[in-house]
Formats: sequence, structure tokens, C-alpha cells
Amino acid sequence: MLTALSGVSFGSILFLVASGFSLIFGVMGVLNLTHGVLYMVGAYIGWTLAIQHGHNFLLAIVAGGVGAAIIGLILDQGFLRRIHGMLAQQVLLTFGFIYVLTNLCLWYWGALPRAPFTAPTLDWSFPLAGLQYPFARVVITLIGIALAVFLWWLQSKTKFGMVIRAGMNDKEMTVGLGINYGIVAAAIFLLGCFLAGAAGVVGSQLFGAHLGLGQEILLFAVAVVVVGGLGSIPGALVGGLVTGLVVSFGTVLLPGLAMFFVYLVMIVVLMIRPTGILGRAITD
Amino acid sequence: MAQTWQRPVARFGPYVAAALLFLILPALLPTHLQSVWSRLVIFAIFAISLDIIFGYAGLISLGHSAFFGVGGYANALLLTKLGFESFWIVTPIALAITVAVAALFGLIALRVTRMYFLLITFALSQMLVAVVNTWRDVTGGAEGLFRIPHPDLGISIAWNSISLYYFACISLIVCFFLMMLVVKSPFGLSLQGIRESEPRMRAMGYNVWLHKYIAYIISALFAGVAGIVFTYHNTVISPWNLGLEMSALALLICILGGRGTLWGPLIGAVVITLIEYFSSIYLPARWPLVLGGSFVLCVALLPKGIAPYLQRLWNRLIYGSAKN
Amino acid sequence: MEVLRTENLCKDFGGVHALRNVCLCVEKGERLAIIGPNGAGKTTFFSMIDGQSKPTAGKIYLLGQEITRVPGHRRAHCGICRSFQVTSLFKALTVMENMLLALHGTKQSRFQILRPITAYDDFYSKPQALLESMGIWEKRNEPVRDIAYGEQRKLEIALGLASEPKLLLLDEPSTGLTSAERDDVASRVRNLGEDITVILSAHDMDLVFGVAQRIIVLHFGEIITMGTCEEIRNDPKTREIYLGEECTADA
Repeated sequence: MLTALSGVSFGSILFLVASGFSLIFGVMGVLNLTHGVLYMVGAYIGWTLAIQHGHNFLLAIVAGGVGAAIIGLILDQGFLRRIHGMLAQQVLLTFGFIYVLTNLCLWYWGALPRAPFTAPTLDWSFPLAGLQYPFARVVITLIGIALAVFLWWLQSKTKFGMVIRAGMNDKEMTVGLGINYGIVAAAIFLLGCFLAGAAGVVGSQLFGAHLGLGQEILLFAVAVVVVGGLGSIPGALVGGLVTGLVVSFGTVLLPGLAMFFVYLVMIVVLMIRPTGILGRAITD
Repeated sequence: MAQTWQRPVARFGPYVAAALLFLILPALLPTHLQSVWSRLVIFAIFAISLDIIFGYAGLISLGHSAFFGVGGYANALLLTKLGFESFWIVTPIALAITVAVAALFGLIALRVTRMYFLLITFALSQMLVAVVNTWRDVTGGAEGLFRIPHPDLGISIAWNSISLYYFACISLIVCFFLMMLVVKSPFGLSLQGIRESEPRMRAMGYNVWLHKYIAYIISALFAGVAGIVFTYHNTVISPWNLGLEMSALALLICILGGRGTLWGPLIGAVVITLIEYFSSIYLPARWPLVLGGSFVLCVALLPKGIAPYLQRLWNRLIYGSAKN
Repeated sequence: MEVLRTENLCKDFGGVHALRNVCLCVEKGERLAIIGPNGAGKTTFFSMIDGQSKPTAGKIYLLGQEITRVPGHRRAHCGICRSFQVTSLFKALTVMENMLLALHGTKQSRFQILRPITAYDDFYSKPQALLESMGIWEKRNEPVRDIAYGEQRKLEIALGLASEPKLLLLDEPSTGLTSAERDDVASRVRNLGEDITVILSAHDMDLVFGVAQRIIVLHFGEIITMGTCEEIRNDPKTREIYLGEECTADA
């Protein structure tokens, strides 16, 4: 059961990261490989604020998100909008940013990894059926659920969400109706990046902050989004949960091969239903 | 109006430059630089092999390193763990294994296009990384395989950095020549047609899937050659050589140099190796920053790579105008 | 001699009946035109014949052999060639390279990986004749994206003719052409000879009357009527469909 909670909370973090990734992909058609590093930058910023300077953990989460969003702004407005639709260039550009940002983090924060940390108020566990469950993990799961609800509300109940859905279905029509899709897309990109950075701080309770985090989380995010569905938020939730549980149980039962199974599932999904379990086809 | 003496210079210029750069210069360099040059040549073979599916057929693969790694690991295993010695026996076997893996991966990856192809090739190579990392008894796990012997060609050669370089260089020449034949053949032209318009190709009678599959396997074969030469030169192979960073590097070299021309990636390999070398001298800790910066600058400033500029320069010298 | 026959050809796109029970028969050497307003199903019909999509129901026979299940890339080998409504040429390649691809498409040589394409000398004389007759031979070494639109449309037709098809499908060949260029195309199609059967789809009634021996009118995927140019010109149903457009103009 502890493994299950572990899996679910890990899945929740994956959902936080993957939802941003999926949004950016669904709305803009961009495969933002930098997403993992944004998570990492958020984690580092969160560490600096929460541990080094002892600030409020919630503030750290927001700061992490904002930091990531700023980088996202530079990436999007400075570069990505010029290479719209050019897949190979997008891959290279976002990959290049991975190297640049990772190295900058190394420069500023040094090579020493930061141990997992959490807010003092969350740092206790409660006993259930003979085992100790860390409260922090429960909170992480709740945050994931809260985000899912927020995003669902955003997509279905707000005008903003309506515009996004319209754009995902038929971009030309949406632009033709006079809606400034460019601003919407830019806003979505910022939201996605903010989510990544904030997720980094939330996830730092489990993983801390270290330099390999960027690529590790990216690999997971890609797997989650592919399985769940590129461009689908419920898909990111499903994918995140599935991946989190697979890895959690896999690490316990077959250590080392957990990643192998993640990729295997990913490949099977891509072969049978490329748009993912809950995804929609991209109108290229 | 170009001077009459300019024409032969322009016509033979590139070949003379290549001969100087690859055949003569290395003999004059200090040993540690010869090693760098060998690396350049090996990465060139790898990147050029990617160009066949990327530049010519238009398939963006993020998993090409899989074949580099399979070729290298197969070679290393045959030599270190299975007791084979002769280059002439081991190489065909390693290549056969690479082709077999490519045949399997191709069946999986070519069912989908573009974005999904990118993701599947990525997942396939990552899966291999996971397997290699875990199967420690066979593959040496995260440390990889080492103490790979030098090539046993059946004649006695003193293996040092210069002889290893010429071994790599000859491999490049042979591979380049063969790949050139492939792209200049009717099959090669068909790949370009596929890149431009698949429906049109089908309407003309081409079995598009089959052509892509064959190209994928040919491309993997040459990537495997690069992997084999790499193990002989490096004497060590590790899971990193199978991973995402290798694949991305090959993609960068192709785009930077100029895709869809075989010599473009060759130039790209030269540029990247030089950048890597100078960065290791002046800014050793910042190499990832420089590399990442190169990716970004290449996309921002040279989206079509260096090759088009050189091509126009060459045309101007030969024909007196920039066009063909 | 019958070249093409379709029996009850139907195509549904999730509820939309693009084609309904299309039955037609084309003789060798015939010049048939299919006309109809936008959405009538002309391009869908062509896609069935050249194999790009599969019919929901019905059969297609080429020279007496059923080809309904033959995959798209084999149809060229059966002798069907097509030009496209939206120019789908190989833009980055030269005019000559486009022609070479068309020529090798139905030959074994397309799998040749070790012999350079320039070694096939006989493959250069054929395109020369075709390109010269289309008036684009001088542009043979230009990338297609650099030549004029009218020349691109002519190349489309040349590509269709390159492999000496038995049945040539021309999908709106005169789109975007000036009237002089259109007349040029019309005369070329007329003079193609008896070995080739041509089916063309067009909006341009001047082109249709200039080329066709027989006309079929499609509307909402069904054949409304068919006949010679005279018959169609005077047909009330056709007039009604076109609401008094060009076909009631100068006769």
C-alpha cells in the first residue's frame, strides 16, 4: 500500500509536469523538450527560497513557477515563434536550451545535489494499517487533484478555455473569428512553463534538486503524455497515474527494468493508438 | 566573367581541400589532435548515415544512436567476451546484428509519421539504453565494456593514434563513396521524392513504405559501421553512446552542415569538432553551454545549414553565377 | 474496347455520401469529362480510381480485370496515371528530376541503389520529347518551385504522361491557367492519340467542350445525366445545377 501511495504521489507530480507539456503540445503543436529543465530550475529556485532563505513553502512554489515562466517567455517569444511548424528545428532548439540551462544551473548552484526537502508543516507521517505514510505525499496527491480540477474548470467553464478548445480543433477558423490566437498561445505557453516550475518545487519534496533531474523528468513527461494522449489533460492525469504506479511497483518488483517497461508501454501505445489513450489527432 | 584559371581551381578545389584536411593534415598534427581528428571522422560517418533518412527521405529520427550503439556493443562483445579476433570475421557479424535490429525497429517505427515517428525512435533507443544499463553481466552496465583490442586485420600494424586515424579515415572514404552511390541512384532520388510528396510517389508506382524501410536499414548499417570504428578507436563503449545526446548531436551536425547533401554533415562534423576542441581548452566546464548555444544559434541563424552558402559560392566560381 | 468500368461505386465519409452508385464505362481512346459543382464528388471519384482511397462499396474494372482491392501504389503499374488538382510536384527537385521519378516509378530500376541515375541514358530521351512538347524543356534544370505556375501545371500533365499510361486522369488541369494556356492544354489532350484514354474533371466549360467527346454530370455524388457536348449543353437538368452559368453562354 505504501508503494501504491508512492506511485500515486509520483503520478501526481508527473501529472503536474505532463499537463503543462501536453497543453503546450496540444495548443501550439510544439514538442517542448526544455520542459524537464524548467522543472529542475523551479526545484532549484524553490530550494534557494525555502531552505537557504527559509521562506514560506507556498511562496517557493510560486517563485519556482514564475522563474520557469520567465525562461519560457524568452524561449517562446525569442525563438519558437520563428520556427513554427519546423519539427527538426524545434527539437534542436529546445534540446539546446536543455544544455544551456543545465549548465547555467551548474554554474550558479554548483554540482552538489540538494536533498529532498519539504515545508516543516508537512514533515510528518501518520500511521495507517501498521505503516507510516508521509503526509507530504498525501499533500502532493491533493495538489495534483486540485490542479486537475482547476484545469478542467479552465477548459470547460471559462471563455479562455473555450478559445483554447476552439483553437485546438480548428485554428484557422478561430483566427478568422477575430480572436487573437497568438496571445492565447503565448499565455498557454507561459502557463505550461509555470506549471513545470511549480511542479519542480512540489516534487522537490520527493526528489530534491540535482542536475540530472531535467532529463529524467523529461523522459517521464514524454512517456506520460504519449500514453495518456498528446494534448489531453485527462490523458496526462491517466498517463501520470499509470506511469507513476508502473515505476513504483516496478522498482520494488523488478529494479532496473522499470524504465524499460515504461518505454515498452509507450511504444505499444504509439503503435496501436498513436494519439494516446485519451488524446486527439493533431490537425497539422 | 570568371577568369579561366578560376574554373579548374573551383572544380577541384573541394576535393583538394578534403584531401588536405583528411589525408595530409593529420600526419602533421601532434598525437592528441590526431585522436580528435579520428573522433571527427567517426562522428562524420554517423551523421552522414543519418542524413540518408533525415536529409533525403525527410524522416526525423531521435533514435539513430541506437544503431551506433548496437554496432559498437556487438563489436565489443564479440571481441572481449566471445573471444573473436579477426576484424574480417567480427565486423560482418556486428553489422548483421545491427541490420537485424534495424529491421525490427523499422517495422515498429515506420508505422507512423513525423511527430510520432520522432517519439517512437526516441523510445526505442531509450529502451535499449535501459536494457544495456540493466543487463550488467553481458553489457557491463553503466560502466560499459572496455579493453577493446585494436583491429586485427591479419597483417601486422603498429596501432598508434596515426594508424588508428587512417583506419577511421579509410572507413569514412569507403562509407562516403557507398552512400554517395546510394543517394545518386534511382532509389536515392525516390527518397527525395518521398520527402517532397508521398501521395505523388504512390501515384507514380512507388511502394513508399518499402522505400523508407530499406533506407532506414541502409542508414542504420552505416551508423553501425561508425559504432564499430568507434570501439576500435576508443577501446571503451558505454550506454551514453546509445542515448539521446548522441542522436541529438547527429541531428545537429546534419542541420548545421546542411542536410540532404552528404558533404554537408561532413562539414558539420568538422565545425562541431573544432568547437568542441577549442571549448575544451578555453572553457572546459562550459562545454554543454557552448554545445547548447550552438544548437540554438544554428536554428536561429543558419536554419538551412552551411552547405547552401558553400554551394552558391562554388556555383559562382564554376559557372559565374550563383544558380545551377 | 472497354478500358474502365465502375459498378455501383459508393464512398461514405462518416455519414456523408460522397459517391452514390456511380456506374460508368469508358472506351479506349475516349475523352470523357466529368463535371459538377464543388463537392459533387469528382475528386473522390478520381481517388477511387487511382487507389488513394478505398470505396465503401462497388467494384472497379480496368481492361476487364477487377482492381478494387489493388493498393494505390500498384495502380500506376496497371496503367493508371493521374494529375492532381492541387499541384503536388517535387518542389525542391528540378523539372528533369521530377520526370525521372515518374519514369522509374514503374520500372525495376527504382530499387537500384548502386548505379547512378545518370547511367540510364535511355531515360533521358523520353522526358526530352515530352518536355519539349509541353514547352518546358529549357527549364529542365530549374527547381520546380522556381518555375511559373502555368509551367508547373504543364509539368503535372507531363508527369502523368511519362509512364505511357493506358488511362490518364486529369483533375482540374486548367486551374489557375490563362485562357491561352488553357487552349494549349486542350489541344494537347485532344492530340494525345488513340492509345490513351483520358478522363478529365473540370469546372472550366470551355476546356470541357474543347476536349470531351462525352460528358458525365455529377451532383451530390450521383450521376445526373450523361451525353455528348451538344446534349449536355441543352440539358435542362444540367442548366439547373449550374444555375445558368457558363454552359448557357456562347454555344
